[in-house]
Amino acid sequence: MPAPDVVIQTVEDALRMVTARGRTDLASRLRKTKDRLHDDRVRVLVIGEFKQGKSQLVNALVRARVCPVDDDIATSVPTAVYYSEKPVVTLVKEEPGADPDDDSKAIRVERTEASLEDLARYVSEMGNPANREGLSHVEVGLPTPLLQSGLELVDTPGVGGLGSVRATATLAALPGADAVLLVSDAAQEYTAAELEFLKHAMKLCPNIACILTKIDLYPEWRRIYELNQEHLTQAGVTAQLIPVSSVLRWHALDRNDNELNVESGFPVLATMLTNTVGQAELLVRRAVANTVAGVSEQLSRGLQSELGVQEHPETVESTVSDLRAAKERMTALRERGARWQQTLADGVADLAADIDYDLRDRMRDIQRNAEEEIDVLGDPSVVWVEFAPWVEEQVAGASSANFVWANERARFLATVVAEHFAEDGELSLPDLDVGVGGSMQAVRPMYLSDEGDPNLGEKALIAVRGGYIGTLMFGMFSTFAGLALLNPFSVGAGLLLGGRTLREEKKRLLQRRQAEAKNAVRRYTDDVVFHIGKDSRDMLRRVQRQLRDHFTEVATELETSLQDSLRTAEAGARTNSADREARIGELKRELASVAGLQQQARALVVTPAKAGAV
Amino acid sequence: MILRRSKKNKKDGKGSDEYSEEYSEENENSAAETPPPAAVREVPVPAARSPHGTPVSTDICGQVRLVLQQAAEVYADHAEAAERIEAHLDRLDSPVRIAIAGKVKAGKSTLLNALVGEVIAPTDAGECTRVVTWYRNAPAPRIVMRRRDGESNDLPIIRQNGRLELGLGGVAPEEVDRLTVDWPSGDLATMTLIDTPGIASASVEVSTRTEDFLTPDEEQGAADAIVYLMRHVHADDMGFLEAFHAHAAIGSSPVNTVAVLSRADEIGAGRVDALQSARAIASRLRADEKIRSLCQTVVPVAGLLAETGRTMRQAEFNALAAIAAADRDYVDAMLLSADRFGRELPEGAPELPSAAIRSALMTRFGLFGVRIALPLIRQGITDSTALAGELVRRSGLEELREALTALFTERGDLLKARSALMALDSILRSTPLAETDLLLAQVEKIFSGAHEFVELALLGSLRTGAVALPSEQRAEAERLLGGTGQAQFVRLGLAPTASLQEIREAATDAMSRWRRRAENPASARPVADAARVIVRTCEGILSSL
Repeated sequence: MPAPDVVIQTVEDALRMVTARGRTDLASRLRKTKDRLHDDRVRVLVIGEFKQGKSQLVNALVRARVCPVDDDIATSVPTAVYYSEKPVVTLVKEEPGADPDDDSKAIRVERTEASLEDLARYVSEMGNPANREGLSHVEVGLPTPLLQSGLELVDTPGVGGLGSVRATATLAALPGADAVLLVSDAAQEYTAAELEFLKHAMKLCPNIACILTKIDLYPEWRRIYELNQEHLTQAGVTAQLIPVSSVLRWHALDRNDNELNVESGFPVLATMLTNTVGQAELLVRRAVANTVAGVSEQLSRGLQSELGVQEHPETVESTVSDLRAAKERMTALRERGARWQQTLADGVADLAADIDYDLRDRMRDIQRNAEEEIDVLGDPSVVWVEFAPWVEEQVAGASSANFVWANERARFLATVVAEHFAEDGELSLPDLDVGVGGSMQAVRPMYLSDEGDPNLGEKALIAVRGGYIGTLMFGMFSTFAGLALLNPFSVGAGLLLGGRTLREEKKRLLQRRQAEAKNAVRRYTDDVVFHIGKDSRDMLRRVQRQLRDHFTEVATELETSLQDSLRTAEAGARTNSADREARIGELKRELASVAGLQQQARALVVTPAKAGAV
Repeated sequence: MILRRSKKNKKDGKGSDEYSEEYSEENENSAAETPPPAAVREVPVPAARSPHGTPVSTDICGQVRLVLQQAAEVYADHAEAAERIEAHLDRLDSPVRIAIAGKVKAGKSTLLNALVGEVIAPTDAGECTRVVTWYRNAPAPRIVMRRRDGESNDLPIIRQNGRLELGLGGVAPEEVDRLTVDWPSGDLATMTLIDTPGIASASVEVSTRTEDFLTPDEEQGAADAIVYLMRHVHADDMGFLEAFHAHAAIGSSPVNTVAVLSRADEIGAGRVDALQSARAIASRLRADEKIRSLCQTVVPVAGLLAETGRTMRQAEFNALAAIAAADRDYVDAMLLSADRFGRELPEGAPELPSAAIRSALMTRFGLFGVRIALPLIRQGITDSTALAGELVRRSGLEELREALTALFTERGDLLKARSALMALDSILRSTPLAETDLLLAQVEKIFSGAHEFVELALLGSLRTGAVALPSEQRAEAERLLGGTGQAQFVRLGLAPTASLQEIREAATDAMSRWRRRAENPASARPVADAARVIVRTCEGILSSL
């Protein structure tokens, strides 16, 4: 998000000051913050079931018909709409790179420019059915004032039934969003699936607004609004419910009719979005303020100690004690260094074990249920068409629950590690990227090796096999009684045994199919555990690396600051009195400017976020 | 859990061969030794149908009735079984039972009202139908509530503003097994309609009630056919239909289901051409392989428009006419949204019916309904009957009724007979007696022997893709088997005015074509079998001429 000038100015001031003092470590940290200020957008995901008017909503918000809208054809590729000086469309293809362990090479991105007219060809089911083009998303830049504040609206494909595999993928995208708009039309109150999805989504992105669309069409929309409000309260979801009408909004725009615009509900939605931007801005301000305050704290600590030495060189006592104190702090820091690393390593190991256990446990439950079902069902090959999707749905649900949980735990771990640094007044948390890859897609579908019923010929053969033995056996016996090998008794016995063999063969076949079906389920869950497990491990490794890098940096900075103090204290003892006066003046000036910087940083948080234009 | 329901399903798909093998021997014996019971008893034979009725008439109901009566005698000492058999005997004489199912708020009750032509099923903006309700034709109105504990009592009949109020008299919905509404109505004479609570309701108990009803654990499906309503195709819908078929139909066959793209007027945000869009969507859905395998056809219906069209009152027409006569631009601005249409008018506005009347119109017609009714009046429709007729015509209700008649009512005997046989089969298997095997063999004989059942099973296989034919051949085969209607001219793809001579020629032509396919050594075995069945169908048509 393009941050306000005052924020950027503060960071630049700090950067200049730090560079002048030769503190490259602090400079790199500030530079990172500055980079983030430049490219951060406030992402708002628009999600919901099919045909609820998501694309229409985005279009009406940005006052341009960017997302294709059709009575029947649905959106197939996510479309991100952001601000740019002139309209621009970028098709983005992402492919996993060769080395998944290295973040920078994990994803190969291919970007192609396209024209606005061609958009429908790429993002709707008509031109790009089931996303044949393999696009990961499409970016559309538009010169719309609403987006100028850094807002990015993402129109997503409808989740076909919010309990499906698609819904899991949508959930995975939530942690990266600043806000979520759940779109549902006023034709009916929330369904069980929508409420369930909401509850999950709440945990991943707490800033959710529920949008009730098409209120122009339904005279009873107020009833639906109240019913939904009740459902939300009952489900314990604290989300704003906003009724809107995209059709009215368009009419209002065409006629420049403000009353109609108010009626369309869009001003309320726009305010909500602006608040989101404001909040995101506040978060950024807070982050900047913290960073700058931390940096200036370290700067002033060095300056203070030197000033102390310069002003009172005769108090060797104090210098010595200062030195001692600084040395003690260094040792403590090193000790803590060992401790926080220990906490991190242990935490990640525990987390990995817990998540893995949770996943396996859920899968085992599903497997057990599935096996019970197979036993009751009889021949599994007959009901396979509906049995397989049932299992897949269960698995998708379980893995998204597992994902939500892993996410919560990873964030918690970050706060635990951060506590080690609390004593130094630096409780800064890194931005965690905990998104997962789309490994559910890599899981092979469940299949049952098809082996039909024995046909008539095979049945005859099986029966003859049994019958032959029967005839022969009894024929042999009866030859003792002086009868021929083929006599009524032996033939009868043959028929009996033949029938029996046939029945047994059928039973055996059924059992084999059941065993086969159970195997298929087991193979599937194993496959899921393998892929999802790999995913969670990758996610954890990434989290561990992020936390380690972040806290190592924090530790290094602290150490450098202390060394600085040590050095100046030693130097102070050696400087002659002529230089001393000049140095004291210099130090005081520098301290004053550092204090000024601190003030500036604090002011960032106090200033209320200005409301952007709609 | 969806899966439990399908446990019985396995025998349907592949069972018939097995049964005939196992029982044919016994069957022949019994035929030889004991005189056929048909000779003993006078069986009421259903009245002969018109020449354009079911062409291949082998009196399936008579055969089924016979078996049921025999079973009733055998099970005379088993009170429970006997009662169930009696119930099925009665059912053979009553109209075919069609359940209306679908997700919450799909418009089930609205469609039922439209089909009956009276507002007898309560409708509401929120979730409304909470218990399974039967609507039957009867000489006098009566509402009976049957509770889960088996007790029944009458409920008072209250009508308000032409709407029937169905209260439960203080009984909790979960204690009610079903409501039965007896209502004198010509539309109910040919079919008994069953309204069900919505699936995927936010309240779990309500959903479960419907699923229990449509897919009972006992093999005695209460409905012979099902009209499934959906707003737009949806993963949930598919799952439900699949579960339903796995249980209730012959070998997962879609033969007794019709899907309705309901609330068609709301597609495209109530634009005037919404129904054209709906038709396009419906035809896309009809061609979809997955949907083909689940239902016979997909019909778009604007339920609200149909309901209002069939129950329109003169006062409503007058109000609409007054609005149509007012300043057009002003009215168009009001029609921007439902809210604006029902709002109090500011000073200086044209004379229009009061806000209360306009709100009522909006509730009854919907934005779409008002938007198409006003131009119709402006174009010169002057009386309410004509407007009502036009609204019904545009709602797609007629197409649905035609589909129901062609697929369910005309085939009603067959569907009822099938329900009865399947129920009998389950009774026989759960309570075996000495004579059980004999009866089972007869049940099986009817199932595999009666040509109607063979046709129905083949139709199912064609739709599910179990028997693969090239697409034009498949279309013709389905038509000949009665997939679009039972009348001879429909089966042969002729106009209703076709002469006997034309019918004969077309039937002969079709027969020789399919016979060639049956005898062609290059045909795969399932195709050859299918062709033989179709040849028999053609023979049946010819012999009935």
